[in-house]
Amino acid sequence: MIELRRPRSVMTLAVAAVACLVFPAWRLGRLLLRVEVAGDSMTPALLPGDFLLLRRGPPPREDAYGRIVITEDPRPEGEGRLLLKRVIGLPGEALRVGGGVQVNGRHLLEPYAHGNDPAEQHRGVHRLAEDTYFLLGDHRAASTDSRDFGPVARERLSATAVLRYWPPNRFGRLEAPPRRFLGAAPEPAPHVHDAEPGADQGSS
Amino acid sequence: MSIRSSIEALIRPSTVASAHCDLPCGIYDPAQARIEAESVKAIQARYQDAENMKGAQTVEEYRTRALAIKEQRASMVKEHLWVLWTDYFTPAHLEKYPTLHDTFWKATKLAGAAKKSQDPAQGQQLLDAIKEIDTIFWETKKA
Repeated sequence: MIELRRPRSVMTLAVAAVACLVFPAWRLGRLLLRVEVAGDSMTPALLPGDFLLLRRGPPPREDAYGRIVITEDPRPEGEGRLLLKRVIGLPGEALRVGGGVQVNGRHLLEPYAHGNDPAEQHRGVHRLAEDTYFLLGDHRAASTDSRDFGPVARERLSATAVLRYWPPNRFGRLEAPPRRFLGAAPEPAPHVHDAEPGADQGSS
Repeated sequence: MSIRSSIEALIRPSTVASAHCDLPCGIYDPAQARIEAESVKAIQARYQDAENMKGAQTVEEYRTRALAIKEQRASMVKEHLWVLWTDYFTPAHLEKYPTLHDTFWKATKLAGAAKKSQDPAQGQQLLDAIKEIDTIFWETKKA
């Protein structure tokens, strides 16, 4: 009897072990996405051949600026390719792009961006509708982005980059840079909660 | 296969996402600089051979025109090289080709020197420098 029971219990354990491994992996696969980077338009932040881990879904509304996201190329000639770009313009903002980026008339400081971006190429002002974002590549002279295909709806931001896990010497979290404007102090990080109202009133 | 490449193959994602550019990335080509540099060299050769040129203009007029045109062409070489240098090449390329800045600097200096030189050998040096850039450029396109 014991000899008969043992194989059954081993089988049960094996099934349980597989379930324990497969279910979390399946669950993680629904939450996370892994991609390999191709192309140069996000250099130097992302280099061709980098392996990234992304959280599925758009970035948090209050912390979207500067996040690297994936969206599907909306143009017919884009053939549905997945694009990696940085969120620059947020819903409701007026953007002038060319010779730098102006947000609501203020010049955005972009230490991550490089490459010639002639002012005469993009004269228009993009006023971003609710739940739409303006995406740009960091290499401004060599990027197909919202300058070409326009603002992107929030539901089309399919994933948000969180980590580069390969190559090992570039391993690290992919943080959003602070948003800074020419001649202005850095905006406070949106995820840092303000002190409770009235907490410092006694000091004056 | 090294341990590193084995690990890389094991953890490689099945999905590729493009940091994509279809225009203007596709329009860069060192051939633009090379064509202008060939004009520079040809003008230098013709300047030397001005006395054998047939036509209504004097040797002095011919050489004056040659110098004026060479000045323009050499400037265009610089312009095309600068566009490649600053717009096409990226920090990632520099990481792979550490002499890239030096190569461009020397090539653009040669383009400047071509304005002053009437020696076709100098024009050839300029062409050789552009050839070096051309080789790197097409290697990066294959990557």
